[in-house]
Formats: sequence, C-alpha cells, structure tokens
Amino acid sequence: MSGTFERSRLFSVIILGVFLWALASVGLLDAERLGRGTLNLGVFLSALFPPDLSVLPNLGRALVETLQIAIVGTLLGFILAVPMALAATRALFPPMVTVPTRLILSAVRTIPSLLWGIIFVVAVGLGAAAGALGVALYSLGYLGKLLYEAFEGVDTEVVEAVRSAGVGRLQLARYGIIPEAGNVVLSQLLFMFEYNVRASSIMGLVGAGGIGFYLLGYIQMLQYSRLMTALLVTLAAVVLIDYASSLVRRVLVLPSEVQAVA
Amino acid sequence: MLVGASGSGKTTLLKLAKGLVPIQRGTFRLLGDPVPNAARARLDHRVAYIPQQLGLVRSRSVLENTLVGALWRLGVVPSFFGWFPGDMMDLAHQRLRSLGIGHKAMERVQSLSGGERQRVAIARALMQEPRVLLADESTSQLDPVTAREILGIMRGIADEGVTLLIATHQVELVGGYADRVVALRAGEKVLEANAADVTEDDMTAALSS
Repeated sequence: MSGTFERSRLFSVIILGVFLWALASVGLLDAERLGRGTLNLGVFLSALFPPDLSVLPNLGRALVETLQIAIVGTLLGFILAVPMALAATRALFPPMVTVPTRLILSAVRTIPSLLWGIIFVVAVGLGAAAGALGVALYSLGYLGKLLYEAFEGVDTEVVEAVRSAGVGRLQLARYGIIPEAGNVVLSQLLFMFEYNVRASSIMGLVGAGGIGFYLLGYIQMLQYSRLMTALLVTLAAVVLIDYASSLVRRVLVLPSEVQAVA
Repeated sequence: MLVGASGSGKTTLLKLAKGLVPIQRGTFRLLGDPVPNAARARLDHRVAYIPQQLGLVRSRSVLENTLVGALWRLGVVPSFFGWFPGDMMDLAHQRLRSLGIGHKAMERVQSLSGGERQRVAIARALMQEPRVLLADESTSQLDPVTAREILGIMRGIADEGVTLLIATHQVELVGGYADRVVALRAGEKVLEANAADVTEDDMTAALSS
C-alpha cells in the first residue's frame, strides 16, 4: 500500500517539475511580462467594442466565399476519398494495395489544411481556388482514414454473405460495404464539413480566400472594432452550421440506427 | 443436417465449403471442383451460403437484398449504376411472392420480423441458382413455429433438387426435415446416418459421449 502511494507521489512531483520547467521556458513565469501582457489585453479587448458594423456588406461577401470554399473542398475531398478508402480496405484488396494507399493517406493527413492552402496559393495563385483545393486535400487525408475504418467496421457476415453470391470487388463494395456503412459515412461527411467551415475561415491568412483575409487585415491595421465584427460574423456562421448539420444528422442518420438496435 | 454443440466445428465446415476460411491442409472438393483457397477470390455462385445472422444489408430494401443474389450474372457497369434487366427484376419479385413476402419488396430489411428476414435470405440464395445451399444455425433465433415454417421451405427447396446442408445445435429439428444427419463433436464426425434411422436420443448420446 505505502509503496503505491509513494510511487504516485513521486509521479506527481515529476509531472509538476516538468510543468514548471516548461512554463518558465515559454516565458510565463516572468511577472513583469505577464503584467504588461494583461494591460495590453485589456487595451485590446476595450478596442474591440463597439463592433464597427459598417463593414458588414464586405464581410457578408467574404463569408459566402468561405462557405463556398468549405462546400467545394469537402465534396472534392469526399469524391477523392471514397475510391482511396476502398483501396485501403482489407476486405477488398491485398496488403500490396492497402498498405501503400494508407501510407499516401497518412502522408496527406500530416500536412495541415493551412499549409495545403499555402502550397496551392503557390500553384494556382491567390484566391478561393487555392483555399478550396487546400481544404480538399486535407479532407482527402482525413475522410480517407475515417471511411476505410467505417468500411472495415462493416459486419463480416454481410461481407461474407454478399461475397458468397459470387460477386466481384466493385459489386461487393457497391452492394455490401458502402450501403452497410452508409450512415457512418454520412455522419463523417457532415463532421468534415463542420470542420472545413472553420478551416476555410482562416484560409485567408495565407491569401487563399474567404473571411480570413479580413481577419488578418484588420489585425494588421489595428482596426479592432472591425475585427470584432468579423469574429462575430464567423462565430454566428459556425454556430448556425453546426446546428443545421446536427439537425440533418438527426433526420438522416439516427432513425435507422435506432431501428437497427431494436 | 449437421448437428453439433457450440464450438464443434459446424460453422468452420460450412465456411470451408464456401471458401471463406483458408484451408490449412488438403483440398476441399464441392461440385467436383476444389474450393478456391485465396482470401479474395471470386466465389462460386452455385454454392449459396446463409450465415447465422443472415448477412442482409439492413438499411436497404428487400428487393435490393434479393437482387444481390443475381449480381453474378450482371456486368461491372450495369451493377455499378444499378441497372437490373427486367427479367431479373421479375424473377426476384416472383421468388419473393412464392416465399410469401412479395408485398414487402420495397420495405427496408430492418423493419422486418425474424421469419421475414429468413425468407429474404432464402430469396437471395435462390437468385444464385444454387446447386448447394449452406445454412448456418439460421433457425436458432426463431420461435419454434417459425423455425419449422422455414425448415419446411428449405425441405421444399431440397425436393426441387438443391443439396442443402443445414447446421444446427437443435437435434429435435432433424426429424421430419433431414435426409441424412451428420453429428460433429470437437471437429470430429461422431455419427453419420439416414435421418430416419436415428432418434434424438441417438444423436444426443453421440454428441455428449
């Protein structure tokens, strides 16, 4: 008993030590700096109010573009992700195919969407096209993984029963695996879209279109009351879309899941 | 019929016959040909297989599940777009009607009762134009009346010339339906006889001795 107690106390001391060391290293134990920071934050926060609503029309257009980036990026990524995910599914293909496909997907996933945005700004120039391609590539990596996990999670008896009818790979995917995984796929697509709305709203930081262009501009020009308007607009859009997508999820996804359990 | 307790090897034997599990030693011959032994080989449609939980796609319609049995006759492009020829659709409807669920063709499988789901699985198997039908414990989750109805349907299929191999742990279901009975215990055959020549007690004794 006392042994485990001492060991857990030792762990607590070690964790506390590591925390303090890291805290000091990043500069958060510097009282003078913290004091100055708090004052600056106060000035910044007070400058945010009242929000300057005169920029709303511009922001509205930018917000629409943000949503367009998210829609195009999510769907493009999804269209690319389905065949890749099928190629990564072990019930359909041998390791010779699934292992390299998974490697490609995880390599694509390592690069965050903002970095993909920078890459495509270089490739296709400034603007929403670069943003949409950036979001698409990131979605490919992420959805690809979520989808092949959904495909592999399909009831093995369904796979065996459909295979037993003497079908080929494509038919097994089309009539067994994809319909059986359908609800999970749909729910992940919605999740990806929610995520991509957030990702698209900062794409403008690297010149890849959307409302992020204004967010960055207002920060750089110290127009904090306009920044506040942009932040509020973004927040409203994100909250609205999360709510709408949860409604869609409830209508489309939940009923059949409930019945499947019953 | 194949009788045996849980873990006696009934499911493994059926899956070996279907080519769903790799063969470790020897070859398994069915309909004169060795069963394919590759993990993703295209399987023989003439051997139909109904797994224990039936393996139906629950979110799809009865008709679509039935048509899965006809996919072996359909090329890649029409099956991708779901273009089933009219005679194939007619045949599927006809099968469902003769199994007494013609009026449920457009309903989702998840809204059906246990006995109705059995009939969908049988309809799908029949669309394969099978010469052998393997059924794994398919009646074990049904009430006794429905179980006997389903076995009656299967008896009728056997009378039309299809060889049926039905696995069950319920020895009381053998009488009246089976021609031959094979008992398995721990992967070994402990009894093989004409069903008419053995009693339930004989089978129970063979399984537990």
